[in-house]
Amino acid sequence: MRVPVKLIGLAALIAAGCADTGMVEVPDHEGALKSSAAVRAERRAYDGAPPTIPHEDFGANCSNCHNERGRSVSGVGFAPASPHVDTRYAGGTMRCRQCHVFQETDGLFVATSYEGVPQDLAAGDRATPGAPPRIPHRVLMRENCAACHDGPGAREGIRTVHPERTRCRQCHVPIEASGEFTSEPGK
Amino acid sequence: MRRRRFLQTVGAGTAGFAAFSCADQEHAERLASSETGISEAGLTWSKAPCRYCGTGCGVEVGVQDGKVVTVRGDKKSPVNRGLLCVKGYHLPGMLYGEDRLTHPMLRDGDDWKQISWDEALDLIASKYQEALDESGPDSVAIYGSGQWTVFDGYAASKWFRAGLKSNNVEPNARLCMASAVTGFMTQFQSDEPMGCYEDFEVGDDFILWGNNMAEMHPVLFSRILANKRENPGVRIVDIATRRTPTTDYADMYVEFIPGSDLALANGILHLLVKNGKISQAFLDENVIFKRGIEDIEQIGFGSWGEDGLGLDPSDGPAEHYRFTDQGRDASLAELEEFLADYTPERVSEISGVPVGQIRALAQMYGDQGRGTVSTWCMGVNQHTRGTWMNNLITDLHLITGKISRPGSNPFSLTGQPSACGTVREVGTLAHRLPADMVVMNPDHRAKAEEIWGVPSGTINPKPGLHTMDMFRAFMRGEVKVMWTQTTNPWVSIPNLNRIEREPGDGRFLIVSDIYPTPSTAVADLVLPSAAWVEREGVFGNTERRTQHWHKAVDPPGEATEDAWQIVEVAKRMGMEHLFPWPEDDWHKPMYEEYRSFTLGLGKDLASYEQLEQTRGMIWPVVDGIETRYRYAAGYDPYVKKERGVHFYKAKGYGEKAAFWIRPYHRPAEMPDEEYPFWLCTGRVLEHWHTGSMTRRVKQLHQAVSEGYVEMNRVDARRLGIGPGQMVRVVSRRGELELPAMIDGRGEPPQGSVFIPFFDESRLPNVLTLDAMDNISKEPDYKKCAVRLERA
Repeated sequence: MRVPVKLIGLAALIAAGCADTGMVEVPDHEGALKSSAAVRAERRAYDGAPPTIPHEDFGANCSNCHNERGRSVSGVGFAPASPHVDTRYAGGTMRCRQCHVFQETDGLFVATSYEGVPQDLAAGDRATPGAPPRIPHRVLMRENCAACHDGPGAREGIRTVHPERTRCRQCHVPIEASGEFTSEPGK
Repeated sequence: MRRRRFLQTVGAGTAGFAAFSCADQEHAERLASSETGISEAGLTWSKAPCRYCGTGCGVEVGVQDGKVVTVRGDKKSPVNRGLLCVKGYHLPGMLYGEDRLTHPMLRDGDDWKQISWDEALDLIASKYQEALDESGPDSVAIYGSGQWTVFDGYAASKWFRAGLKSNNVEPNARLCMASAVTGFMTQFQSDEPMGCYEDFEVGDDFILWGNNMAEMHPVLFSRILANKRENPGVRIVDIATRRTPTTDYADMYVEFIPGSDLALANGILHLLVKNGKISQAFLDENVIFKRGIEDIEQIGFGSWGEDGLGLDPSDGPAEHYRFTDQGRDASLAELEEFLADYTPERVSEISGVPVGQIRALAQMYGDQGRGTVSTWCMGVNQHTRGTWMNNLITDLHLITGKISRPGSNPFSLTGQPSACGTVREVGTLAHRLPADMVVMNPDHRAKAEEIWGVPSGTINPKPGLHTMDMFRAFMRGEVKVMWTQTTNPWVSIPNLNRIEREPGDGRFLIVSDIYPTPSTAVADLVLPSAAWVEREGVFGNTERRTQHWHKAVDPPGEATEDAWQIVEVAKRMGMEHLFPWPEDDWHKPMYEEYRSFTLGLGKDLASYEQLEQTRGMIWPVVDGIETRYRYAAGYDPYVKKERGVHFYKAKGYGEKAAFWIRPYHRPAEMPDEEYPFWLCTGRVLEHWHTGSMTRRVKQLHQAVSEGYVEMNRVDARRLGIGPGQMVRVVSRRGELELPAMIDGRGEPPQGSVFIPFFDESRLPNVLTLDAMDNISKEPDYKKCAVRLERA
């Protein structure tokens, strides 16, 4: 089922090809999930890799905009909140550019045949139709669920319908396969 | 150059307040027809240490359809606890550059001819045999690295020392941490640090000596930052010659004139002694005093000088080349007298460091209520007085007793994943044998000959050529056959002009690598190697942790592991008795033989089974239990005391540590009117060493795509150079054109420039000089003089 949605005031921001109508076909839930996954994949070497930074270096501290709630930056877009909050060994999250790098060029040194593993959309499954979906990704360094699942930065398909319930992991459990080494003898 | 592009990535421009746009829809449609959403079901996971730096982060490697498709930081690894840096997160791409070497290739004039492994191995064996027969064991060489696995290094060392009777085995780690080896050996008669990474959580003051940890050991720096966040009293001092990303997090930035760190350390010692901040009880119980040769005319700067009397026309006097330090006994009284020259005022004059900062540093080291960790890496090691500087930092900890206890240690960091495990522990430096033994010592040779099952007298008592000599001997034609593995010397050797090579010069160069590099370009025979998890391996990291991984994927084409290549050549030379293990199961027995060198000596390595089942073990491992703090009662099983420390390895010093009195000497070359700028070279976070792996990773290459010269903006304005403009950098040895970086991530002070060395098309080593620390034979990449011109 597809629901047409009017995007008021956004015509100017919408890419060529459908800008003239001002109307966008919104896909069903599965499509929305895939769309979210696609946007996510654009900036990541593989599912779970730290995203590269999609904007230029403004010379500001990252946390000025990527703060606890995120921030709208005129002319650029919405800077989502940082998902890193409660990591036990969070020293790394104090130095953003240790993991997130700017893209200064779009060339390659030599061609690569590397293809990263994509997001597993089936992993966020529900045990029964009414059950809460499982968390389809690792939680480590993604403890602030609201960064991606609530507010203006949350994409359709992964946006929470109950933002008032702030203790997400009471009902949603993560899939953490860490340490189960399938190719490791003796363990 | 650094184009500040605004990238039209989906979502960047359209996000606004919409969670959905038509670009999303296009993606959704594209994806609906693709196979997005492959389940994790096909993934298998295994563990491995990261391929890059000496930190040794634990990585979970995800494999699908025979390819590494993903990695995760290993939450269960005590090293990194799930965190990686940007290089580690992008490890998989390193394996899949489309120019991977896949077949042995023999030079055929200007072209290359694919040959079989049998042909290649037969050819290597015959070349080595021919050189041995005609010119003896000094005419053959093998040059590896701190990226050799324990297997590769052990195979090379055993083949050479027990088979070819030559000690011409060297690693590129000579260029990297040889000064740390001589530092620890002269003070403790046993190599490697006493502390472990827990120091970064429990220490109070972190004194970083010429050490840009935020970029070079990012995950360890994160552990310090986490400590600092939880304990606001924690302080970081960045002692450096340029501002770096590390400086942003420092409580105090101490900028010194290149080379004057020797004076600064002595200035701190001066104040500690003068103000009674030394630990007399600790000194009485655990420390002796030594003093070496200090005459600058006698020592010189290794192979570099103005007299031209050495073995090569541009070498220094021959006696500098052959210099050997002679230590004699000294005393605390003699130290006091020696330190009289290093008043804060005089040190400030030499170093440019304000007196107040020298006093602040002395206050930190002298405060018995706070744990102090000193870290250092290339700034101290790649130094014409690198051994001295290592000695002086450890001296600061000895004189205050701040050593071998949690949160108080001198902590030497290594840059390569197995610089400790393979180079220092296996002993692949030209004079070393496993477990701190050396070829010059008859007892050590006898022990090695016994374990290796070769007749007494097999091992040559003469140390082999150190790296700098090895390449010069190769250029002179004295070394006739050389084989390099896991390293890229035609990018990384200083003063590259001196080893410019035209193949067909009568020597034979074999290069094993995973990608084409400037080193394969000058080879006679190129061999394709298996990389990282394409083979089984063991690395040893900076905190003495030995880590094992299993092969996770097949290497491409006919690529094979480096150790296998060595063993196969040895077998073809009639030395199969050195490698008597089954062809399909040789890793474990080879490791267990090597391990037998280490047992009972305080260097005890863990068993293979334990390595397979754990995220690495910190040696000495006795009864299956690791040792987090060496020489410390309650931690180290070799220490029988109930409290305190015992430097039990230093048999020659009465089981005490040696405090070495070391003066300040000027660097080999300093700026003058003709060449008014200091040049420092080094690395960046995104690239690892010569870039042969990381440049093939899309995200890393796109983040930092080419070499540049980092300048102070005042100098740039004075010379009329704008950001991105081409600059010609000229030294006495060569010149190089590259774009200017102004207000980049680092900021050198006026009169100083920095060039990273990852870009093989812009090699700063055509500029650097090949002066060395005459004790460690490690060259100095951090200090030479250049001039700048607008290109």
